[in-house]
Amino acid sequence: MRHLIPEFEKLRERFPAGFESSMVLPCVRRIQEDRGYVADEDISQLAAYLGVPQIQIEEVLSFYTMFRRRPVGRWQLQFCHNVSCSMNGAERVLEHVQKKLGIRPGETTPDGRFTLSTAECLGSCGTAPMMMVNEGYHEDLTIAKIDELLEGLK
Amino acid sequence: MPGRQLIMSFPVTATSHSLDEYRARGGYGALEKALRTMTPAEVTKEVTASGLQGRGGAAFEVGRKWQVVVYDDGQPHYLIANADEGEPGTFKDRWILENNPHVLLESMLISSYALGVRNCFVYIRGEFDLPYRRLAGAVEEAYAAGYFGERILGTDFCCDIVVYRGAGAYVAGEASGLIASLEGKKGYPRNRPPRLTVKGLYQRPTVVNNVESLSNVAWIIAHGAAAFKEIGTPKSPGTRLFSVSGHVNRPGVYEVELGYPWMKFLEEDCGGVRDGRAIKCVVPGGVSSKVLTGAEIRDLPLSHEALWDAGSTLGSGGMIVIAEGTCMVTLSQILMRFYHHESCGQCTPCRHGMGWLHRIMDRIVAGQGRPEDIERLYYISKFNDGTTICGLGDAAGYAISGILDKFRGEFEYYIEHKRSRFQGNLECPRSS
Amino acid sequence: MPEILLNGRPVQARGDQTVLQVALENGVFVPYFCWHPQLSVVGNCRMCLVEVEGRGLDIACNMPVSAGMKVLTDSDDVKAHRKAILQFITLNHPVDCGICDKAGECTLQDYHYAYNGEKSLSVDDKVRSTKFYNLSNRILLDNERCILCLRCTRFTHEVSKSMALGVERRGDVSNIRPVEDRPLGEDPYSDNIIDLCPVGALLSRQFLHKSRVWYLTPTPSVCPGCERGCTIRIWHRKPEWFVKSLDPRQNTAIARITPLENPAVNGPWICNKGRDLARIFERVRAEAPMLKGRPVPLAEALDAARRLIGAARHPVALVSSWGSNEELEAFKRYLGEVFRGHVKRDWLPEEGERIEDDLLIRPDKNPNTARARELFDEGEPAYHDGTDLVLVWGEGYDFARIPPQARVIFLNAYLQPENGHAEVFLPISIQTERAGHYTNFQGTVSAFEPCFPKAAAVTDAETLFRALAAPARGHP
Repeated sequence: MRHLIPEFEKLRERFPAGFESSMVLPCVRRIQEDRGYVADEDISQLAAYLGVPQIQIEEVLSFYTMFRRRPVGRWQLQFCHNVSCSMNGAERVLEHVQKKLGIRPGETTPDGRFTLSTAECLGSCGTAPMMMVNEGYHEDLTIAKIDELLEGLK
Repeated sequence: MPGRQLIMSFPVTATSHSLDEYRARGGYGALEKALRTMTPAEVTKEVTASGLQGRGGAAFEVGRKWQVVVYDDGQPHYLIANADEGEPGTFKDRWILENNPHVLLESMLISSYALGVRNCFVYIRGEFDLPYRRLAGAVEEAYAAGYFGERILGTDFCCDIVVYRGAGAYVAGEASGLIASLEGKKGYPRNRPPRLTVKGLYQRPTVVNNVESLSNVAWIIAHGAAAFKEIGTPKSPGTRLFSVSGHVNRPGVYEVELGYPWMKFLEEDCGGVRDGRAIKCVVPGGVSSKVLTGAEIRDLPLSHEALWDAGSTLGSGGMIVIAEGTCMVTLSQILMRFYHHESCGQCTPCRHGMGWLHRIMDRIVAGQGRPEDIERLYYISKFNDGTTICGLGDAAGYAISGILDKFRGEFEYYIEHKRSRFQGNLECPRSS
Repeated sequence: MPEILLNGRPVQARGDQTVLQVALENGVFVPYFCWHPQLSVVGNCRMCLVEVEGRGLDIACNMPVSAGMKVLTDSDDVKAHRKAILQFITLNHPVDCGICDKAGECTLQDYHYAYNGEKSLSVDDKVRSTKFYNLSNRILLDNERCILCLRCTRFTHEVSKSMALGVERRGDVSNIRPVEDRPLGEDPYSDNIIDLCPVGALLSRQFLHKSRVWYLTPTPSVCPGCERGCTIRIWHRKPEWFVKSLDPRQNTAIARITPLENPAVNGPWICNKGRDLARIFERVRAEAPMLKGRPVPLAEALDAARRLIGAARHPVALVSSWGSNEELEAFKRYLGEVFRGHVKRDWLPEEGERIEDDLLIRPDKNPNTARARELFDEGEPAYHDGTDLVLVWGEGYDFARIPPQARVIFLNAYLQPENGHAEVFLPISIQTERAGHYTNFQGTVSAFEPCFPKAAAVTDAETLFRALAAPARGHP
């Protein structure tokens, strides 16, 4: 992660003095954005750079759902299956995608293109059902819309 | 329009969130007024006099929270806007971040001025994409215009802001869990005492307020507490943003003047229930609030006191409308799965209780329920009420016991017949 | 000094105290798992819930006292909640007491019988997790038994500062886990988490399945590993629980060592070296007096020694810093006129051993250098050509330093090659075979008591010094 240090130095200036520990979350997010996941050496290097105990970073990586220590497919599809989305057909939409891609939540297509997972409420209940594709929200999903969307994701 | 509009008071366009258009609407005038004509104590006094209640869930008066902070105790104070919005059914803070971010920023500046805060933060849930980009863009605009940084508007007031992104944990929306997360650790809530306003972020006095709560401050300072109190009801001044979803024809975010009749709001503004169905029940304020049946809400206004009297709460303003024909047992399973997934695991009743609730619901839905399961669900709820470090355990208890109180028969049916009375249905057809 | 009402009884509290502290100080027991006087308050077990009039239930460990508050620690509501908390803790607990070393000293067992006593209300499967996990080569972790009180992680963050432990994941799949590439094995205080753990989630691997704790009795003693002199408990078999073993040494073995709480010296902790004393004490023993390697009866050896002492012109003694206060004083009293005594540091730091830190570990790896220095000279003896007798008491002296012309009387406990080189060799007892005291580097005196009988041919050094002072047979 060392090539990201100039960025991290800029970020450090935004925080008050003594807030190095706070930099764990944004730095981890950036490392993951850069590499696709957080590697073992990123952990020890980040711990040394920030001066925080290594175990703190390991705990953070496993506590929060958005961090991962393994790569995922090129397109990460996360379907909300909480209350309002389920009341608006999320299960049906998810089932359609499972059949279409041939994978279950938690799995990645053999060609490395799609990773499928479920998620709890993403704050999009009024435009349910919805999914995240990597960082972006895709709302008011229909079967047709999904098919078209997946087609365009190479 | 369900009453007067304070925050959603303009038509949303592709550019209405920009600084220029915000200023054209009178934006940052309240900041000028506060910095030039009011002392910090006067600002706090005004916010307190307005009776503004928290709009994140607890409805704790904002001014009362602020008053604990001793302005000149010689140590850093922090203000954090809670934009972690994770309560299922809730997406109204998102509206503010996407469409009116400057009202939050201006309000945070005024609030920082009042509280002696030099560094403020917005903690925004990690999954939010467009809300984050809009907010970050607004922050850049505000810095460029000199609203953040040193010597703001030529006064001695200096203030910096950091937008801090979460990483996927509902429990980090709890104020002390949020602070733990902002310290770069796992989002473990903390016991009180000490209150966060005494020892919060890095053990310094910290005020954590919901995005919408803060966003009212600008209007209150611009127009005065008295004007604010004229809106809404005496016990529920002002307006609240409700995120309406579920089985209504027009889901979305609506600003409702408190005291407005509930059914009128649902039928006229939200287009009524799909497929012409009756309302089975409504989750008024996020799934952690107790459901109220269609009959119970028929004559109620949307106000804090009306819902408290009815045994529920406006909570996070996440209103989920559930039509007849929905299986409440299947719905409960989803809720228990949610709390189980989100429990941080620190304290005994929640760590084990959430999984227990979930496993019982899984069993019932799978047709393997037992008669004593209902009493077990109540037992777990009872001993998560007031026994935990934070409110997550309590909330799960409210959710399930609230549904059991109103729909016990459905559960008994499912257990006895090993199937749902409504084929496990959760949907309602969209009107063509 | 606020006064509060504790179950109706007025008690005085200090303003900075919590209700739990006040209750415990006043003989009112409130159960708890996660609280510990030496660690930060986390308030996660929820076992210490008490009722406060007008405020309902809340945890006592984090509850500041306020004047006039009325606390109830045993109301019906409190009792019902304690029962429920225990239901929750045992919900996923494996309850494998039958194979768990903690049985008999397990807080969860004790509380279950005291406050719950009922079987689980759940019919669902328990959450399974990692068992038999080697947290280090010394400690076994069982995550199913773990109640996530976080005493162990707090210890490594706040006391030993190794930062070696943390919690992975969340909810009921949370697990204690070690940091990945700096093993807990490098923390010389790691084993304290075994004592801290209220249940059988953290177990000593060297003690694993060796014995039920109720077969054992703890004898107070002092760790000889350094000049801190932490007080310890040496656990060994009660006579009524001796195994009918072919090897009698099974019943005179050290089963385990734990700290003996001592506010003046070590608090509730010891370092790992103190746990491993068996490797020092249970080395092969010297059991026969010898003359130049030839076993002889004790009387004969004593006689030979007395003759050597009587004839010596420039006798010098190397005095053991493992000698007890009593033994050192006896040497001074009986042989101090004859011998010029020099303090010998029997043990030096071993390879890889921590020399010193600001917790417990001290650089001098001997228990009684302090008292020895009060009575005898520091530094190497000034040997010269006239040195004709060297008495070496205790191990660790390089015999090559002894002038070749000098005769050697050697008092030692362990079987070592030098034993056979001495003119006279006398086997002596070790600390676990007698009572005595050590003085630590701060002048604090601590007592140890005997655990085991000594072998027939082994004598206490104190007795030998007196015997050696008597004139030799046939001499005036």
